[in-house]
Amino acid sequence: MDDEVERAARKVREVEQAVSEHVTRSGPVTGRASSPDGAVTVVATPGGAPSQITVSPSSLRMGPHGLAAEIMRVAEKARRDANSRLHQTLSRVVDARELTALGFELSRDDDEQGWRP
Amino acid sequence: MNEDRLRATEQLRRELKTIAETVEHPNGLCTVTASPRGEIRALHLHPALLTQGAQAVGQVVTETVRLATDAAVQRSFNRMALALGDGLAIDVESIAGDSPFRATWNPVVTGEPPAEQAPPGRERRAPLPDDLDEDAFFENRLWLR
Repeated sequence: MDDEVERAARKVREVEQAVSEHVTRSGPVTGRASSPDGAVTVVATPGGAPSQITVSPSSLRMGPHGLAAEIMRVAEKARRDANSRLHQTLSRVVDARELTALGFELSRDDDEQGWRP
Repeated sequence: MNEDRLRATEQLRRELKTIAETVEHPNGLCTVTASPRGEIRALHLHPALLTQGAQAVGQVVTETVRLATDAAVQRSFNRMALALGDGLAIDVESIAGDSPFRATWNPVVTGEPPAEQAPPGRERRAPLPDDLDEDAFFENRLWLR
């Protein structure tokens, strides 16, 4: 068991170093999505809570239920965008199948509301 | 790896996938259910929150999602520690970063947080020394479920 843990930890350290060097070069990975009318904008991080959720003054007219639903919809879109971007970035240094298994799936959901750098 | 361990690992994997935590913001105006990966499973906004303006809504929701995600991550750590033992859970922390409870062990609120009393988020830390008091993982009853 200890040998397995040590081997796993060593592998993680190696991958972490490769990832770290790569991200240092490419910058932090985030995803972003907005409502079509700009009511809600979410900046997401891969595998974590959104780093920023903003709503426009006019979005308050949607009421608490409508606004909550829109925030959830946009946050999910931003989350998929962040995971997809991480997949694209790290697939150069980590096996793409392993990234998908970890939940960082490549999304084909690139419609007009997706974020472009 | 024998069959029992494979089964136990698969069981743990299934349980970790279903974990989500519900947290109410300290101001009582927003409640979020989130997974450890930051997915928002449910979101409730109190009508009074909307009267505070768009900036407050965004900030309170952002903070509440973070708190719920941290709670879900902590619950995952606790579940993992129960299945694998504190030692391995602490090894995982040294790789993945502190559990939210350890990261906010002595939260210090400075300045003027616009949305009240939200503690700081998780951060990675340096590797732990060998003589760490492993019992500390379970000292805070608040996180145990």
